[in-house]
Amino acid sequence: MKYWEDIKVGDTGDLGSYTVTEEEILAFAKKYDPQPFHLDREAAKQSIFGGLIASGWHSCAIMMRMSVEHMRREQLAGVGSPGIDSCRWLKPVRPGDTLTVRTEITESWRSKSRPIGFVRRRADMLNQHGEVVLTVVGVGMFERKGEPPPPARRADQ
Amino acid sequence: MNSSGGMSGPLYFEDVTVGDTERFGRYEVTREEIIEYARQFDPQPFHTDEAAAKESIYGGLIASGWHSGSLLMRMFYEAVFRDAASMGSPGIDELRWLKPVRPGDTLSFRATVLEATPSRSKPDRGLIKTQCELLNQHGEVVMSLKPINFIRRRPAL
Repeated sequence: MKYWEDIKVGDTGDLGSYTVTEEEILAFAKKYDPQPFHLDREAAKQSIFGGLIASGWHSCAIMMRMSVEHMRREQLAGVGSPGIDSCRWLKPVRPGDTLTVRTEITESWRSKSRPIGFVRRRADMLNQHGEVVLTVVGVGMFERKGEPPPPARRADQ
Repeated sequence: MNSSGGMSGPLYFEDVTVGDTERFGRYEVTREEIIEYARQFDPQPFHTDEAAAKESIYGGLIASGWHSGSLLMRMFYEAVFRDAASMGSPGIDELRWLKPVRPGDTLSFRATVLEATPSRSKPDRGLIKTQCELLNQHGEVVMSLKPINFIRRRPAL
């Protein structure tokens, strides 16, 4: 297992690659974000985007999936996130795009009240043309080395 | 901001006033959909595995934060975007996951318009920044965020 202490400011990561299909763009949009430019091929063509694009929440979900797989490969003891400083959808994500994500740790600090540590991470998602389509700067929580895992909170807390 | 589009045509930038606040939506989150979303996008044990979640820092199964965000998007669509001249979003600031969302929670949201600025470079649209809060059935804010949206300006007659 790797703990908060094993993550250093300046560390960079490569989260692999993922190709987005039209089918999954439509399925996500139908459930969560049914704006015409995410859901309807013809309407999307007439829109300012000139064709079908993925919901921004879908791109973020794909980035999350790639982050979880990276944490598994690296055996990182992640315990969630308190939030995101900023999320920017810079370019549309379109069917067939192959996305890669690169990350950099920019800050790291210990929790004063719990046996965990925090890191701030910048994650850039790029398409197959090398264009940054999404940048997320957010905070992750990790267990600390040699400390008992954080105690369970009751479900009503 | 209001959701009364339809009869009077879509909601345009000119219909939005800083300080407008509204509370929308009512959505009960099921165990099945928490697990389904997490299996696809955020397969950490506290989102996918009831037993492992009990032993985790969260003391029980909780929804992925990106799932909560996607549900908020859906409620926002139903209440506002369905009838708005939406032109997409450049991003979100200060997203905070403040309390876990658990199976059976009933979510609603509150939105307050923080800024409404005509675009300087693109005269066909304006930029709206909103303070959004996702609430549970106890009135607790479980998630807060400041999304930015482009909305079409009312065309000249």
